[in-house]
Formats: sequence, C-alpha cells, structure tokens
Amino acid sequence: MQYSHDTHNHTHEAHDHEEMGFWTKYVFSTDHKWIGIQYGITSLLFLLFGFVLMGLMRWQLAYPGTPIPVFGPILEKMLGSAAAGGVMSADLYNSFGAMHGTIMVFLGIVPLAFAAFGNYVVPLQIGAPDMTFPRLNMASYWLYFLGGVVMVISFFLPGGAAQSGWTSYSPLATIIPTQGQTWWLLGMVLLINSSLLGAVNFLATIIQLRAPGMTWMRLPFFVWAQFVTAFLLLLAFPPLEAAGVMQLMDKLFGCSFFLPTGLIISGKVADVSGGGSPLLWQHLFWFLAHPEVYVLILPAMGIVSEILCNNIRKPIWGYKSLVYSLFAIGFLSFIVWAHHMYMTGMGTAISTFFQTTTLIISIPSVIILTVFFITLWGGSIRFNTQMLFTLAFLVMFGIGGLTGLPLGFNFVDLFLHDSYYVIAHFHYIVAPGTIFALFAGVYYWFPKATGRYMCDFWGRVHFWCSLVFMNVVFFPMFTQGIAGMSRRMYDGGVNYSQAANKGLLGALPDSAIYSNVIISIGAWMLLLAQIPFIFNFFWSMRNGRKVESDNPWDATTLEWQTPTPPPHGNFAVEPTVYRGPYEYSVPGAVRDFIPQNEIDNKGKAKAPKS
Amino acid sequence: MSLKSFHIVFMLATLALSLFLTVWAYQEFARTQVTSYLAAAICAAVTSLAVLVYGRFFLKKLKHISYQ
Amino acid sequence: MEIPYTVKERKDTGLYNAKLGIWLFLASEVMLFGALFSAYILLRVGATPGTWPHGLLNVPLGTLNTIVLIVSSVTVVMAWASLKMNQFGKWRMYQAATLVCALIFLVIKSFEYHDKLTHYEVVTKEGDKHHVYDGHLVQEDKDKVVLHPSAHRLYTARAIALGFGPEPAGAHAPADHGAKGHAEKEALVTIQRSTIEHMENYGPKHHPYLAIYFTLTGLHALHVIGGALVMAFFFGPGAKMWKTDPERFTNRIEISGLFWHFVDLVWIFLFPVLYLL
Repeated sequence: MQYSHDTHNHTHEAHDHEEMGFWTKYVFSTDHKWIGIQYGITSLLFLLFGFVLMGLMRWQLAYPGTPIPVFGPILEKMLGSAAAGGVMSADLYNSFGAMHGTIMVFLGIVPLAFAAFGNYVVPLQIGAPDMTFPRLNMASYWLYFLGGVVMVISFFLPGGAAQSGWTSYSPLATIIPTQGQTWWLLGMVLLINSSLLGAVNFLATIIQLRAPGMTWMRLPFFVWAQFVTAFLLLLAFPPLEAAGVMQLMDKLFGCSFFLPTGLIISGKVADVSGGGSPLLWQHLFWFLAHPEVYVLILPAMGIVSEILCNNIRKPIWGYKSLVYSLFAIGFLSFIVWAHHMYMTGMGTAISTFFQTTTLIISIPSVIILTVFFITLWGGSIRFNTQMLFTLAFLVMFGIGGLTGLPLGFNFVDLFLHDSYYVIAHFHYIVAPGTIFALFAGVYYWFPKATGRYMCDFWGRVHFWCSLVFMNVVFFPMFTQGIAGMSRRMYDGGVNYSQAANKGLLGALPDSAIYSNVIISIGAWMLLLAQIPFIFNFFWSMRNGRKVESDNPWDATTLEWQTPTPPPHGNFAVEPTVYRGPYEYSVPGAVRDFIPQNEIDNKGKAKAPKS
Repeated sequence: MSLKSFHIVFMLATLALSLFLTVWAYQEFARTQVTSYLAAAICAAVTSLAVLVYGRFFLKKLKHISYQ
Repeated sequence: MEIPYTVKERKDTGLYNAKLGIWLFLASEVMLFGALFSAYILLRVGATPGTWPHGLLNVPLGTLNTIVLIVSSVTVVMAWASLKMNQFGKWRMYQAATLVCALIFLVIKSFEYHDKLTHYEVVTKEGDKHHVYDGHLVQEDKDKVVLHPSAHRLYTARAIALGFGPEPAGAHAPADHGAKGHAEKEALVTIQRSTIEHMENYGPKHHPYLAIYFTLTGLHALHVIGGALVMAFFFGPGAKMWKTDPERFTNRIEISGLFWHFVDLVWIFLFPVLYLL
C-alpha cells in the first residue's frame, strides 16, 4: 500500500462510486457504512415488531380472554383459529412470547448494537478505509436478513411460530407439535453464521486496520467494547449452533440428544430411542446466552462512554480501569452460565461454583458504572438529547444491575426464579439500559451519517415519555415477582389470584393482578412514545437542520475528522494518530478538545479535511 | 501461525494418535489374542517412526519458509 | 483509501488479513466441535451402564480413512510450499492429489454410512413372546425380511426393556438369544413380515451413540466437502490468479491449507473417540 497515491485513488474511487448501479450501491453494498445503515434500519424495524408482539400480549395479560380491540380481527384474519374471535389463544400467546424474546435479542438488539453501530463507527474510529472483509460483511447482513425472514415466515406455518420460549428448552421444544420450532432452529443457524462472520470481520478489522499511531491504549472505548463483544460472539455462539444442529436432528431425524429414556408424551411412551440429556441443551444454550447478555450490554457501554465524554467536555476517569474491566467481564462471562440453572437439580457444589463466579463478575460491571459516574464529577454537562439518554442509561442500568445481585444467590433464586422479578431485572438492563444507549447513539451519530441533526425538541419528547413509561412498565414487575407471579402465564396470574382462591395462603394479591393493567397501559403508551422518534428519524434525514461542520459535537475521535457523510473509503488521506481518545479541556489548548489526529494543541488539524 | 507451523502441530497430533493406536491395538491383542491386533500394533508403531522421519524431511525441505 | 494488508503482512501483528480471519474462524470452529464433543461425553456418561457400544464401527476402514486424511494434509502443505518455491507445475500435482484424497475419504465414509443404514434391529411378536433380531438386511419383500446377523449390535432401550439387553459379565446368556447370537452368526435369519412389531435401521434415530456419530461425522464431512470445493476452485478457474497476483494466490492456498489442516485435526480426534474408545 502506497499512501502517497491516496488522493489519486480517492478521486478514482469516488468516480467508481457514482458509476455503481442501484443494486450494488443500495442493496448488495460492500461499504461498511451502508451495511451499518442496512443493519440499523432492519434491526430497528425488528425491535418495533417485537414490541408490537408484546403490546398484543399485554392485552391478554391485562384483560384475559377478551377480544383485542382493533388488532384482534386483523390477527384472526392473518393467523386464523389461533386468534379466533380476536382473542389471543394460549398457543398464540406462547408463540408471541417466544418470538418476542428471539426477535428482540437476536434480530433487534444484537444486530443494532453490535452490527449496525459497530459497522458504521468502528472502521471510522480506528481510521480504517472499510472493514477487513467487505464481501463477508455483506454476506453477514444477508444471512441476518434471511434469518429474519425465516423467523417471520414461521408465524404463518401450521401450528404457528416457536412456542417454547426464546430458550427453547428440550424436551418441550422437541416434542411440541409445530413446525415453527424447526424454522426457529433454521433461523437461528442462519443468524449464528451471520454473527460469526461479523465477529471475525470486526476482530480482524480492529487488529489489522488501525491507522498509524492508533495503539491499543489509544482506541476509543467504544472500539474496545466492540472488540470484546466480537470475541464473545465468536466463541460463545458456536456451542448454540451445535445445540441447534442437535435439536434439528432430534426434530427432523427423530434422534434423542435431549430426550431422556422413558419419556412420556400425553400418557404414552414416546417412540424415541431415549438416552439423551435435557440438561445438555440448557448447558449449551446458556453457554451462549450468558455471554450474550454481555453482547447486549457492552456495545451500549461503549456508546455511553463516547457520548459521556463528549458532553461533559472532560476525559474519562479511569480509561484503563474500563478496558481491564471489559476483559475481566469478557473472560468471566464464559464461566457463569449455569446461574440460569440453579433450579435444575444439577447439584449444590456446581451451584456454589457458579454463584461465586456470578458475584465476582458483578465487580467489573460495577467498576465500569462507577467510572462513568465519577467521570460526571465536575463536568459542565451539555444536556442534548443523546446526553439525556446516556444519563438515563446510567441510572436504569444501575437498577437493572443491582436487582440482578439477589438472583445470583441460589437460595434467593429459589423464590425469584422464573418470576416477573427476573423479567423486570433483565428488562431494566436491556430496555431502558441498552436501548436507551442505542437511542443515544442514533441521536449522536445521525449528523455524521446524514449531514443533518435530528430535531432536539422531539428528541426530548421521545426521551421523557420513554423514560417515564419504561419505569411504569418495568418497576411494578419487581413487586409482582416478589409477590410470586410466575412468568409465561397466559392469563396474567388470574387463576392463582386471591380472588379465585379464597383464603389460599400465598395466592397472588389483588395488587399484583391489578398491576397488569397499569403495566399494559404503560407499554402501550411506550409504544406511542416511539412515534416521535420514528417520525423524527425519517423526517430529519431530508429536512433536519444541516450540520455546520464535519465535527458538530466538537468530538475528538476520528469518525468526526472525515467528510460528512464519509465517502467510499472514508478518509481522504490516511489519518495518523498522535494522542488518546478523550483529550477534552486540555490545559493550555486553544480549543476544549484535541482530535486524535492533531499533532499539536494549536487548533490546526494535521490532516486536511476532505 | 503459518501453514508450516500448523502442519507441525498436526504431525505431532498424528504422532500421538499412532502411539495411542499402538497401545490400543496391543491391549486388544492382550485381551482377545487375535493376531491381527498384534499386526495392527506393529504397523502403528512403524507409522509413529515414519511420522518422525517425515518430520525431519519436512523441516529440512521447508527450511526457508517462515513459522509466523 | 484502500484496504491495507490484503497481501503483505502488517508489521506489528505479523499477519495478513485473511490469515488472521481464518484463525479467528478456526477458533469458533474449535468451539463448535468442542460443544459436540462435550455432548458426546455427557451422552456417554449418562448412558445405561454396559450399553455404550464398542467395536460397532469398522476400525480398518476408519484407519484407512485416517491415513487418507493425513496424506492429504501432507499434499496440502507441499502444494503451498511448491508455490512458495515458485513451482507451479508441482503445485498442480499436489493440489490434484489433495482433491483425490478428499474424494477417497468421502467414498469410504459413504460406504460406512451405507453399512449402518442397512443394519436393522427387528422386534417380532408371536403370541405374546417378543424376540429381537439384529443384522444387515439381505433381502426384503412383501411377506418376509432376511437378515444377516452381525457380530456387533447396539442395545437400545426397547431391546433392553424386552429382556434383550447386554449379558451381565460372567453370567450365562439367555438361552434363546445367546444361541442365536453365536451359532447363527453365519446363517441368515428369515423373519415373517406378519410377526414384525418394529423394524428400525441403525440411523441416527436408533441410539444416542449413532445420533452423535452421524452428527459429528456428518458435520465433519460437510467441512471436507466445503474445503474440497474451495480447493477445486483454486485448482480450476481460481488458478488464473497465479499469473496476475502470485503472492495473493499463494496466500489463498495457505488459507485453504489451514482450514484443511483443521478439518484433518478434527478427524484425528474423531477417529479414536468414535472408533476405538
């Protein structure tokens, strides 16, 4: 590579870019930025879809057995007897629940947090022209898309979509009479292969394509977060793929990987060889699914650190602690998986081991959150929309994290396991936690991708409504769970209520049942609260206020030192990095920020822009 | 790690396998007294030696290729 | 700007992009096969004592296949070394040899599969007396099934429940079954269709051992096929690159060789685990 020819190459490429047809430019693009946007829009749509499923389920929970207004007849038309009379049947409820989890995790958050933001931002932040393997990158997106299509089609199969939860525990998942489960497994295999390609690509990009001077300890924290996330995906996903293949063998060829000897289905001994192990599925599933939790949260933490430093105009407090904590989390996340399985009877010795590692992993998580809070100390905070979301993330993630600690103790878990408390706990981490950070990321990087700001007023409306309703939805769930309400109940617990069981000790109190209504209304309001965002997002693409410069937020990292929006190949001239990622308010500097590629602090960028 | 290094790792695994096969076949011979197991054990032992000889040849032949 | 280090290595990492990429990919493959191996361990540990099969697979054939794969890994590395030494003709020879090895491996493997898929367990019921027959299918028509009893059989939960389980060590075999097992080893068994209650071949459904055997070797065979297709491409149309960009082409051969070595290495583990232990 001769960089002396870069300017020439750049013009040449720009020329190529114009000549590219519609299909190669917009559909089968190999440009990391466009793939990032494809990922972003697709996964946002899936998030909305997953949320709508839950919105429908919340009607059943709040008003069990009554027809869903407006949407009920539509459901009946689309899905037939599963929604007879506009009432959600138990089967439909189960498949919506399973698909809500699957879609939110595998088709919504991971592609948005990891693939979309990672694709768009990581190569820019490390000063790379593109991802290392652009064509693999495209293949990764299309595998993801295909996986999504397979999942969506499964709703219209005889018997409906997968019904045994996003965890698909065998034997139930194997013997349940719906083709949806087979399609779920096929979809998962596609999604897993997609994220494997993505993970290989991210790691290779971060290791190989860092610009000159971009040493490891000068990487923005967001890049570090994506790096560790990619490792988690690379190493944790294959066991689930193996498990998926085995469950497919069980379903298609009648094997018994997860079916024990003497399995009885509806009163008859099943015609299977037996000899399998139901625990094997759980082990393989959670071996992925616990690191997956960190796949959901680490990119969010990366986004938060970028926006935090940018809006308090001072460096991050304890950059190295953050990085080392990330590594500790990455390592420990592989040896905590069985804390999801305390109730399976795998033995107290094993439970104790996993209880210990689980509590140890909370230490680096707390360090990260603490570093963010200490960073706030003494900063002059700019309260723009992305900063509001970021600050809310810190608190909401804090609630989610702290409420997780009791679940780590297996004696407490005896009571809370599989209750609404668990739902509240992980939704606080993922919904007002990760999703808020992702919203913040959208507001923050939108000007770079489009050259226009998103509207701040509607951003604030979106933020405050979302914040309020998120808490209306999830906070009562803690009390419901502590009152003993079990998750996955089709009728919202009415059968176990005090009203239905007069004088029964331990029946669900009326308040827990009544909370269902409040939560449901909160959820629908939350759905409405996303309308300003959707409107703002699309409207601002064409009509938003134009940015005044390539670096509208006065940020230090390299993605802001490119033209807006960055052209194919990103940088006009390969940047050279001279300093760490967060040099804000450096004493003696002309401006309150020094970009990473600036050689001195006199306010002149070394590299000419565009 | 280049293909050369990986090939060496692979040959070490092959060596381990042929040694294991020697032990396994001999044990089967001791258990069943079927002579074909003894023949197998001898073949496996010879293979182990052959792998070592091949290793020497390989290292010599690819002397100028990097391990990295 | 164009993507750097596609051909030459980056100084501080000592790797060109594709080499790092394939190693990362192989790391994930280790986890994939590792998970399946751990499934094997769990199934084996959880099996009813004495029912996990020994000597069900054909060891000489398996050994032959192992040798074929080891030879193919030698030809793969020699192919790469030939390109490094600028000997394109030799490369063609070695590459062809590798492809032939891959083909031989798959042919032998399919014979082994065929052997398992024509091996049947037949449960008959005459009056209220059950009997379990086990052997390779010789002939099958409307009213009868002819089996060639085989020396090695699996003990399924169904057979054990009917009293045709493994004989306890040292104890006398049940007269009925023991006599058939030994005396009629060579003779064919003819079974009337009307008496058959259940008939199942040694497919993956039959027993957890066969399930993991077919899954592991099937996944491995898919890897062999994938690797062979890529190498066939380099042998055929892909070889044009040698004229335009020899260094990049050599790298491609190295990458495919690394993948091939991994696939062979998996077999080196699969062979003792499935055939010998």
